[in-house]
Amino acid sequence: MTDAPILEAKALCKSYGLVQVLHDVELSIAPGESRVVIGPNGAGKTTLFKCLSGEVPSDKGVISLEGREITGLRGWRRVQMGIGRTFQVARIFPEMTARENMTVAVEMRDRLARGTARRLFSLAPAAELRAEVDELMSELDLAAAADRPARILAHGDKKRLELAMSLALRPTLVMLDEPTAGMSPADRADAVAMIARLRDTHGLTLLLTEHDMEVVFGLATRLTVLHQGRIIADGAPADVRADPNVREVYLGHD
Amino acid sequence: MNRDLAKTMALAGLGGAAFLCVPLVANSGVVFLAGLVAINIVFALSWNLLFAGAGLLSFGHSMFLAAGAYTMAKFSLSAPEVPFLLTLVLAALSGGVLAWVFGFVALRRASGTYFAILTLAFSALVHIVITKTDALGRADGLVGIRRPEIGVGSLRLSLDGDMYYVFIVLSMTLAALALWCFTHSPTGRLLQAIKQDRLRTSFLGANVRRWQLLAFCVSGVFAALAGAVMAPWSQIVSPEIAHWSMSTMPILYALLGGTSRFWGPALGAILFGMLDYGTRNMLGLADMTSGILLLVVVLAVPGGILGLLLRVGRTREEAKG
Amino acid sequence: MMMDIGLVVFGGLSWAMATFLVAAGLTLIFGILHILNFAHGGFFMVGAYLAWAMIEALGGGVSIWTYIAVALVSGAVVGALGVLVDVTIFRRLRDVEDAYALIATYALLMVCIGAIELIWGLDFRAIMPPEALNSALFIGDLIAPTFTIFIIVCGVVVYVALEVFMARTETGKLVRIVAHDAWMARLLGLDVTRIYLITVVISFALAGLAGGLLVANQGLSPELGGVFLLQAFGVVIVGGMGSIRGAFLAALLLGQIESIGGMLFPNYPGIFYLVALAGLLLIRPQGLLTKGRTEWV
Repeated sequence: MTDAPILEAKALCKSYGLVQVLHDVELSIAPGESRVVIGPNGAGKTTLFKCLSGEVPSDKGVISLEGREITGLRGWRRVQMGIGRTFQVARIFPEMTARENMTVAVEMRDRLARGTARRLFSLAPAAELRAEVDELMSELDLAAAADRPARILAHGDKKRLELAMSLALRPTLVMLDEPTAGMSPADRADAVAMIARLRDTHGLTLLLTEHDMEVVFGLATRLTVLHQGRIIADGAPADVRADPNVREVYLGHD
Repeated sequence: MNRDLAKTMALAGLGGAAFLCVPLVANSGVVFLAGLVAINIVFALSWNLLFAGAGLLSFGHSMFLAAGAYTMAKFSLSAPEVPFLLTLVLAALSGGVLAWVFGFVALRRASGTYFAILTLAFSALVHIVITKTDALGRADGLVGIRRPEIGVGSLRLSLDGDMYYVFIVLSMTLAALALWCFTHSPTGRLLQAIKQDRLRTSFLGANVRRWQLLAFCVSGVFAALAGAVMAPWSQIVSPEIAHWSMSTMPILYALLGGTSRFWGPALGAILFGMLDYGTRNMLGLADMTSGILLLVVVLAVPGGILGLLLRVGRTREEAKG
Repeated sequence: MMMDIGLVVFGGLSWAMATFLVAAGLTLIFGILHILNFAHGGFFMVGAYLAWAMIEALGGGVSIWTYIAVALVSGAVVGALGVLVDVTIFRRLRDVEDAYALIATYALLMVCIGAIELIWGLDFRAIMPPEALNSALFIGDLIAPTFTIFIIVCGVVVYVALEVFMARTETGKLVRIVAHDAWMARLLGLDVTRIYLITVVISFALAGLAGGLLVANQGLSPELGGVFLLQAFGVVIVGGMGSIRGAFLAALLLGQIESIGGMLFPNYPGIFYLVALAGLLLIRPQGLLTKGRTEWV
């Protein structure tokens, strides 16, 4: 039995002005998969992320989430439907403490769990939400940083805080844009281990972009190779590694 | 959280008590000014709720003040049988409705500068409409607004003279506390998040525009409340109240006092009231000093007076310890 | 009916070009420095009051050439004030948040208004247009005051001059490069600070010139700057911030709307461009000529 895809994109196109960044991109992500999109700089990975998450509108094509079309929906609607997302440079609320950052996310989760009419005033008891915040923070190893302003956190802490905020929304699909960018090799290994652990405990489907090959092969259950806005290979990591198209793009002609 | 609330209530209580002492020591002219300052405090806090609280710069806050004041004046003159407190609520709501209508259009512009100019344009629209509408007294405004009575059944209390002053101080203290609670509520926190990073907040599933519209409406309600309380105090409402120079006032108070602290705008309003009293008879000097003061604050003291005081205090403590 | 249409079009043109004269410098400074300069309205008034004072000093009725010369002198003086403002204020605003920069220029506007009140007081002042412009042309049934025609011509001349300056001159080219990407321009060794200064001076000179040209037939009071500033803001926003051509077209469009509205509802003059502004923003939030879109999230 094959499950219906969590996220599916058909014939996705996107241009900025006269430059077409994405050409008829086809993507289908099955539940439980860890998909890594790779490709050289400027291949369109970040644009693909922006289109899929709803940061920018796509020009053509259809995007659906668990069988429901979301092409025209804005980012916040897609988040409400179960997409979580982090950014290449971690985006957090710089003037709040790490705990306040988390509280915003958890309170938002609580609001969305209620009907529209009651979103404004009735929040769950503060103690319950605080416990939820604490649990997530200790799960992502943030307890020590809890009361520091987010802007002075270490790079890795910022990345984990952002991930924790995304997880607070209890997404089914998490999109991570270069989760290990700017990390030392040792931190990278820790990050891979943590992402894998979170994926398993929370039952997440992952969609990542990544440059570092250790990370790619450490996490990916399936690879998609993007080159000049087109998908040139899609398959199991070992198959992609052997794919002649990919070899040509990366290694040049023999 | 609760300790903060207790501290704030104590602070607001002290401030209110200080205001209540003014009639004991000063003449009626100063009492009148003190009443206006108390109203201006809420006006400035409502503006700062948008600016520091939600990252929205409004250059058109006079329209809410005018909405509240004209609603109050109109009821007081044409339908005096409507209970005062009900009128007050209606007047405050008029500001919220106005904010909703204009915010709905203006917030389609994401960027801060566009929003700021649009609020200015809208308030100009409101100003012109008032000066051309017979029912609102055109350029002459509405005069002869009576000081109200409040009460239930046969128990009536006439809010005349200093009694209305007491009412102003009490109602404005409560309004300031309500604004404090809003700022420190989960909704206030979410608005703060939007101010710090719109994109991140929308990727936490928040419809940023709708939340900003809510902030705009809440701000409008409190600004209109300030206007509504002002009308029976000055007993005349003229189109001046809707003029764009009136929109400058909360900006001035808030920046002077310091926008990043909740009570900064209140301090600014008090200081500015004193300054205004000092320069009241010199034509042009008021605009000039306000302008220069504002420039100096923006260029040299972005934290405002309160920010400066707190910084000095902290440095002292560190020097001691 | 023909006369009505002629009257509406003519009235709209008059509004459009008077507003464009003020908006030209505003959109220029926004396009290059990314500062929305509230004080523009203030310096426009300074120009108007200067021109008024000069004409009074010359004994009132002046010839059309003297009138133009006076406007040019106003422009030059206000342009010189631009140097002062750029060095003391605008340069410091580059590292300041947008909102604070906006508030700073607003404060500068208050200083202008205060200065005018201190020097010239609150009294209404008025001067007649020069003799040669104090008549009317009869075009069919349409009565067209020559002063209004003069203003329309001035607006077109200023527009053409700006377009030629930006497209054909070496300095104009540099200004366009800086507008496009100041960071890159600096990297390539251009003196960006000097180009900013030139832009500010031109913009201020345009404000002063507009004040000098429009001074006749206006009741001159410290309120005047605000009125023109608001109209100019509308034009600049609808035109797409920073676009001179957009501002010109937007002025023509909003002028006609204001004129038609004023004809249909004569009791509410001066609000139709605001209503149109709101309407246009709902349909095309990014402005008439600007490509790209507003933030989607």
